[in-house]
Amino acid sequence: MAAWDSTAKDRLAPKGRWTRRGGHAIAPTVALFPGSDRGKRRDQELGAVGQVTQFEAISEPGTDRIFDFPAPSTRVRCAVADICDGFGQSWLWMRLAHQDLRLRYRGSILGPFWQTITTVILISSMGVIYAKLFRVELHDYLPMLTVGLISWVFVSGMITEGCGTFDSERNIIQQVKLPLSLHAYRLVYRNVLVLAHSFVIIPIVLIIFPHPIAWIRLLEIVPGMLLLMINGVAVSILLGMVCARFRDVPPIVASIVQVVFFLTPIFWPPTALGKNAWWALLNPLYAAIDVVRAPLLGIPTSPHSWTIMAIVTGINCVAAFMFFSRFRARIAFWV
Amino acid sequence: MSFVRLENVSVEFPIYQGSSRSLKKLLLATSTRGNLARDARDRVNVRALSGVSFELRSGDRFALVGANGAGKTTLLKVLAGVFEPTDGRIISHGHVTSLLDTSVGLNVDATGYENIILRGMYMGMHPREMAQRAPAIAEFTELGDYLEMPVRTYSAGMMVRLAFAISTCVAPDILVMDEWVSAGDARFLAKAQRRIEEFVRHSSILVLASHSLDLIEKWCSRGILLHHGQMLRIGPIEEVIASYRRLTEELTAMEEAQAAAE
Repeated sequence: MAAWDSTAKDRLAPKGRWTRRGGHAIAPTVALFPGSDRGKRRDQELGAVGQVTQFEAISEPGTDRIFDFPAPSTRVRCAVADICDGFGQSWLWMRLAHQDLRLRYRGSILGPFWQTITTVILISSMGVIYAKLFRVELHDYLPMLTVGLISWVFVSGMITEGCGTFDSERNIIQQVKLPLSLHAYRLVYRNVLVLAHSFVIIPIVLIIFPHPIAWIRLLEIVPGMLLLMINGVAVSILLGMVCARFRDVPPIVASIVQVVFFLTPIFWPPTALGKNAWWALLNPLYAAIDVVRAPLLGIPTSPHSWTIMAIVTGINCVAAFMFFSRFRARIAFWV
Repeated sequence: MSFVRLENVSVEFPIYQGSSRSLKKLLLATSTRGNLARDARDRVNVRALSGVSFELRSGDRFALVGANGAGKTTLLKVLAGVFEPTDGRIISHGHVTSLLDTSVGLNVDATGYENIILRGMYMGMHPREMAQRAPAIAEFTELGDYLEMPVRTYSAGMMVRLAFAISTCVAPDILVMDEWVSAGDARFLAKAQRRIEEFVRHSSILVLASHSLDLIEKWCSRGILLHHGQMLRIGPIEEVIASYRRLTEELTAMEEAQAAAE
């Protein structure tokens, strides 16, 4: 008989220990029909329950999963363990994300490149018209639009899909014990993969409309993308939980995202607002797009965008963690 | 060496019915007092399990018996680690493989072979590892060329074969199964039983919930009788089944008496 592969087991074995606080006394005997003769007979018969379940002392080193609820300190530790274990199983969420895309585009020849083609069509049609509307050179406008739109698709994709982080995986959540954060990592990684497919447009556009590329500036895209991904995980945990609990949130989020697309300087430059430009700058999604767009276009990222992004990341992470540690155990009941 | 110990485990969860699922209702209820406030608190708390305690050790074949809604599936989910108890404590050692539903990780559009890899991943096994085990799994399922076909085309019994074969391709420490396994035909069940007996000899634990008393009698050595989330009886399987039969008789007798009184 094949023994459990030890590496597989180690990967899955939950880490961390939790201890018990307080005792609970619930009498295991149940009198179904008290009073009647039958009831008495049953009482005697069922009285045996307490004796059968006597516990023997178990050597402590062997234990590896102890749940004890509700205890706030336990919750925080469980949440931290979940987030770390989930991240540790990177091979799993990466594979699952690949699998998601493969299944999503099963039977189609172009697969995820359909998204790329959609973007190309959108960019070329919008680019020509809006360059005329805003009376700007296509040469300046199109690269801005391309990079802006592609980053927008990435950011908004994470937000809208974030509504289903847990709900769309209810089959798995209800059946298999896996770190719940794993679903958030999988979602973000899947969106990164989609982004990678559209990304090929950017060098093409930059070749057609050449701009001086500042190579040093290009490096700034690393912290920018990192911030977006961290926010993606936080937002998909947060929205995933809220949407699993309140079923009317996903449509609300969808419509807000749709409106915000027009309110965010993606296909129009913030300078077009004249002296009112500052309120576009307060939009956190503008900051999110700016930290990726500016380095690619060789423009310095405004310190303003970094500040906004830092604040937003902080708020998102704290909120997501507080929510997650408080309600993590409830997710299985919600979905 | 694997074991599971439950101490006074209770699971209680709110059932969100239409209105309390709505954000609007909740917001309105917190801002305006009155009728609406009742709406938000309208949720029904279900105590699916209350004060369940038992201990399982290597080699145990344990059955969960009870009527519909007795808490069998909830208890299985607690054992699988899907539901965390709202009260009490679980101590377990060993890797749990759960077979609660044939559909877990099975993608109906993917082929049988692809599903072997996919389901294996959810069990924590690397695709490379699963690829090595695929021939053995294929042999156990006896599905032959069907494994090249999308799972959509499978019958319920075929899905059970596939799911069972994948989940048990390595000996689990603790195997938690719901009653769907009885969808397999007699020959498959005999084969599955042989495989499980082999595990249990190698110090695994089996927990099975089923309505099929014959199956339970054949597969399990101990059992627990659940009724409305509480343990009515725990002990050797014959006694538990006898208690279950008596309970069913009594409940039926009581219903008849009530009907007669009316």
